[in-house]
Amino acid sequence: MGLDFGKSGEQMDGNILTTTIDKVVNWGRKNSLWPMPFGTACCAIEMMATLASKFDLSRFGSEAIRFSPRQSDLLIVSGRISIKMMPVLKRIYDQMPEPKWVISMGACASCGGVFDTYTLIQGVDQFIPVDVYIPGCPPRPEDLIDAVMQVQQKITRGEVPKGLEQVSASAHAVDAR
Amino acid sequence: MNEEQTALVLEKLKEKYGSSLLAHAEKPDGVIVVVNKENAYALLEYLKTDTEFAYTYLVDVTAVDNSQLESELERFDYARFIVVYHLYSYRGHPRVRVKVPVHERALRIQSVTSLWNGANWLERETYDMFGISFEGHPELRRILMPDDFDGHPLRKDYPLRGRGERESFNFERQNV
Repeated sequence: MGLDFGKSGEQMDGNILTTTIDKVVNWGRKNSLWPMPFGTACCAIEMMATLASKFDLSRFGSEAIRFSPRQSDLLIVSGRISIKMMPVLKRIYDQMPEPKWVISMGACASCGGVFDTYTLIQGVDQFIPVDVYIPGCPPRPEDLIDAVMQVQQKITRGEVPKGLEQVSASAHAVDAR
Repeated sequence: MNEEQTALVLEKLKEKYGSSLLAHAEKPDGVIVVVNKENAYALLEYLKTDTEFAYTYLVDVTAVDNSQLESELERFDYARFIVVYHLYSYRGHPRVRVKVPVHERALRIQSVTSLWNGANWLERETYDMFGISFEGHPELRRILMPDDFDGHPLRKDYPLRGRGERESFNFERQNV
């Protein structure tokens, strides 16, 4: 792809080749995001609608819903999470292989929504890193599609997922010491 | 609901448990009887096992916290909690609500799991939310809140936003 193979190996900057492979890998990743649904409330109904034929998330390569976290790379938290459910969600997030992205769908997952009560987590981002938030109660299927496309754009730009960002930040901190 | 039937249930209950009935009322949807704690189990047992009434369906067991309602406190002998049983009979008898005042100094009442198996989870929920112990319950532990939760959320003195549990709960729970 635009590489001049006439040049000798020494003149060829190794970085060019690496970036290109990254791009190819990211292109593959972005078009085959396999979502892990974590539907606990009415947002999950909208998520189902998004996956069904009318809105058809498979147009964006994300129709392969995996009910095993070990086979998925996109966690969609759709619904309210209680303090009894949060350890379950955290465990599922931990079980997903890297790189993984998280969509916090709807008001409840993002900030607790109307449930400002003793048992409800006021935003899952307190405990797991979230890449894209969707406002709405519940959001329209188009909003979820938009969020998936935003994740795709992040992957295309080569952005590091929030989860890995935090890991690498702490690794840098260790290096600095 | 037929008025004669409603009257019949009340008559029978008054006849058998007249001295332990604190109050009673006829409502369009059934009968309400308030009975003291000592005779509550006997009355419920009678309603279930009587061949004519056969209240075989325990619809709900719940409680009410009247601690911030002076008028209700007066009506129920200054008992903070009232345990409420909702009964239904498939024989077409009116619904019966049995209310039992429970004082805070003796927060316990006899379990009815021996009469209705369905009372098991209902009583666990009432225990979880109000802290009322059900004596003779086979497995009285929390059902909705986590096992290590402190407090009983449906009590009126429990703050709506909690006491910081939602920010500092135990993440490493065994039953995950």
